[in-house]
Amino acid sequence: MATEDARYRQSSQYQLWSFSPSQLAAMREKTNAAARARIAERLASQPASSRNTSAPTSSANTPDPDGASTPALPEFLTPAEEALLVTFYVSELLRAGDHAEMTDEIKATAAAFFRRFYVTNSIMTYPPTEMLIVALFFACKAEGAFPSITDFGKTFGRENPEEILAGEFLLCQGLRFAIDVKHPFRALRGAVMELSTLPGIEPARLTAAEHRAREILRFSPLMTDAYFHYTPSQIMLAALSLADRGLAERLITETFHYVEPPANNSGADTPASSGPDAPAAPKRTAPRSSGGGGSGEDRAQIIGSHIRDKVLGAIEACRDMLSKELPERREHWTNRAVIKAQITPIRKKLNKCHDPERWNLVELQRARREQASRRADSEDRDPAEGRGGGKGGTLEDDAAVFGAPLPLSQASRDPKRRKVGGEAERKGLDDPFGPPL
Amino acid sequence: SSALPVINSEDMCPVCKTIRYLNKDMEFLINPECYHSMCVNCVNRLFNDGPNQCPYAGCHKTLRRKGFRSAFFGDLAVEREVDIRRRVAAVFNQSEDDFETLRDYNNYLQMVEDLTFDLVSGTDARRRAAEATLQQWEAEHRADIERNRKAGREADEQTRRRLAAEREAARQRRVEALREAEEEKRERARSREAELDSLAQGGDGGGPGAQRVQLKRRGQAAANRAVEAAVNAAVGAADVGRLSIRGLKEKKKAPAPEGPYDPFGGMDFVPSRYKLRAGLTHPGVEKYKADPAHITGGYSFDEYAARAMYEAFAGLGVFIEDEKEVGIGLSAGEVATISAGIAAVGDRMELD
Repeated sequence: MATEDARYRQSSQYQLWSFSPSQLAAMREKTNAAARARIAERLASQPASSRNTSAPTSSANTPDPDGASTPALPEFLTPAEEALLVTFYVSELLRAGDHAEMTDEIKATAAAFFRRFYVTNSIMTYPPTEMLIVALFFACKAEGAFPSITDFGKTFGRENPEEILAGEFLLCQGLRFAIDVKHPFRALRGAVMELSTLPGIEPARLTAAEHRAREILRFSPLMTDAYFHYTPSQIMLAALSLADRGLAERLITETFHYVEPPANNSGADTPASSGPDAPAAPKRTAPRSSGGGGSGEDRAQIIGSHIRDKVLGAIEACRDMLSKELPERREHWTNRAVIKAQITPIRKKLNKCHDPERWNLVELQRARREQASRRADSEDRDPAEGRGGGKGGTLEDDAAVFGAPLPLSQASRDPKRRKVGGEAERKGLDDPFGPPL
Repeated sequence: SSALPVINSEDMCPVCKTIRYLNKDMEFLINPECYHSMCVNCVNRLFNDGPNQCPYAGCHKTLRRKGFRSAFFGDLAVEREVDIRRRVAAVFNQSEDDFETLRDYNNYLQMVEDLTFDLVSGTDARRRAAEATLQQWEAEHRADIERNRKAGREADEQTRRRLAAEREAARQRRVEALREAEEEKRERARSREAELDSLAQGGDGGGPGAQRVQLKRRGQAAANRAVEAAVNAAVGAADVGRLSIRGLKEKKKAPAPEGPYDPFGGMDFVPSRYKLRAGLTHPGVEKYKADPAHITGGYSFDEYAARAMYEAFAGLGVFIEDEKEVGIGLSAGEVATISAGIAAVGDRMELD
């Protein structure tokens, strides 16, 4: 196995946030179903009068009116509609990032956070317009730029910093605390570095390709699910192939150049193996099979033709995915007509079916804090010692998608503390000269 | 209930108004019915001929002679509370071991305390309700209560026995120590006698040798004991060792020597797909090579090149769809064909 791949497999992006397309679809279904159930519960338990204040709008996508009749449940969003809304809001997020003049990494990290959050939480539960700003703020912090919350709020017209801070911990939990997102931008630089050492490539062509590839990388992978299904290196090569197919193919062939020697299958290195990968890097680690440096099997596995074809297949698939959302589509997502036709109906639906308890993040955080401090009051008799931000409640309710919630400390069994004997022994201990010999 | 008076050791009986000056050994008794105190003479006078009403103004309780006892606490409110608690504890005598979790035990304790509070300082209605609960509980759990009482008595017995044993052992040790001291003294006296005798008979007595022997003898008893203990321990250990050698010899072997410490835990940093050459650079990076903000700290631009190259090739051979479905190194398609093949053939085991 290639060492770079082994190292990539240690990352949280691979372990926690990479899925096959079917797995991702299943997760989204599960999230949607769970949110529907919970919101239906909440709406049913609410008094009917408070719900009927929303004026019934006439739009083609909401056929059944839930106005003055018996407390019927509103129509919920389908997973496909949720996905469409998420994509729309990612485009809004990127525009907001452009407006605030953030770097590519920060915008990409924020978009990745946003997407990851809405895999395990439904868009009906938490307001995307708020989480968008929270994602941008948190991404700034994650990438090393630490803006002041008030300045940040001013840039986006939020006077109250509470609104942004209320959603922060929520976002972290939704990300499963995997804050490190690996991007393809530096990978692009690396590819260009490598290409510039190869003979037969004009610098102008290289620069143009890099420029175009970077444009693509700023937009397309974030507007699709590419980050979940492909590694940053594969995404980068897909973008490069969209920009300049020849360059990408040249890079691949130069990397996966190893040709198996047809005659002798011994471990001897063939002198015909060209390219920069001279067997100067002996493989010293123990887990490698059949010792000795650079045996034929290993190299074939890592840089042979079989794996090259597989890689090319993966890059083609990624390229197809990216080509659905090329940077030219930016206008599509800001086009008023398109928005009116596709997005606005869903938003109207969302207004009716959103989770009433969770929609206002500031209220939610305040309620959780009170709950936590009340619980601490009744337990510890020390009112100043509350748990931060309603951790207990959140862990119970919102982590349902991850399986069993973490056990709270109250429920755990403490080791039994035994009394120190009976009265007689206690008297012995009270003796100033200690217990008897 | 009204505040109960505190008995002053020097005061007068509230009933007969006798002061201590007139009766030096005046004692006060109380009756748990109403916790009113009066001197012994009053008790005898009023209640010797059968039940009578409590002489305090406003207290209409019927008291009997045998109910009177002397109070342990000066503050009669405390006395009353202690009596109530004693009664409650006789009924609710479960211990922590009887409960599954600490929380259950604490809930039980809370319930008991609430009941006690109602009994001690509740309104009349609450007090009656609490009494009723108490009676009811006693009636229901008579067997449990009896069992717990017995268990409590046994536990106390065991503690007492243990303490007695420890005291006994301590006493024995002291006696032993005394005896040994006496023995040593006698030994010393005897040896001195023997030396004098040998001197008298003309030997030189060995001089410093004899003195050394003398010195040794002073702690000899203790030394002997230590040696014996060591021997016993050795014998005992040998016994234990013999037992363990029979069955568990393998555990005594030292663990296999580990190799040199690997700080990266087996991770390999040598690139497989590319080679880091000296001249890798990028126009976007070049402009920083003259920037003092970057150079002064000693930043090495090769680090950037290494990172960029790593990111360009890391994960190139990681096929997420396959790996997340079936596992690392396999391909979903291949696994599907293999399992289809197995299903088609069927795995019938034919036994002849």
